[in-house]
Amino acid sequence: MENKAPLSPHIQIYKWHISSLVSITHRITGIINIIGITLICLLVSLLILGENNYEMINLFLSSMIGKFIILSLTWSFSFQILSEIRHLIMDLGYGFDLKVTKITGLIVIIGSIVLTVVFYLIGKNFF
Amino acid sequence: MINATKKWIFLKISGALLVPLMIWFILNFINIYNQDYSIVENFFSNSSSKFLFSIFIINAYFFSALSISEVFEDYIKNYKIKNVANRILYASAVVIPLITIILMTRL
Repeated sequence: MENKAPLSPHIQIYKWHISSLVSITHRITGIINIIGITLICLLVSLLILGENNYEMINLFLSSMIGKFIILSLTWSFSFQILSEIRHLIMDLGYGFDLKVTKITGLIVIIGSIVLTVVFYLIGKNFF
Repeated sequence: MINATKKWIFLKISGALLVPLMIWFILNFINIYNQDYSIVENFFSNSSSKFLFSIFIINAYFFSALSISEVFEDYIKNYKIKNVANRILYASAVVIPLITIILMTRL
């Protein structure tokens, strides 16, 4: 059966707004997160193989690339957390005003960077 | 209640549940990711961590399957391709957490 429902229009025909940026980034970070969670599931599964096999994973995660991946994943999680809260507030019927939408979008973008730093510092016991 | 409404409600419940679980997990993961085997193994074999991590991955895959199927709905026109993509998505959302949880219980 062929689906006759219209697809989403091509995104390049629209002028970029904060709302569209947040919406698209929400989808992208959602996919990044599930890839990240899948890799973490793999890491947990590999723990069963013992200490010797874990050395290579540990070496990779301790490298600059490993740290960059962890930091990127933390940002992706942070963005998803704030964006999800924004979605839930909008589902309750608040924040639809154009000005408020722009402000909450900015809070999500800037807040995700701040939250990444906060998560990293708390996680590393800096406080 | 139509299926689309049920899907929306499940998406919202799992999304709301995912927020605290993501915060819990990322804070702990930053703390242990470059630690020795014994510390990482100890974290994942701890019963409360095991329980929360299991809930986290089940919920994350459930939420992702529902939301990625929406992305497929928006961007894949061919019905057969969309159907196959959705089946692979739902199957992996069950298989990956299940295997991880089974292996984690053996730690």
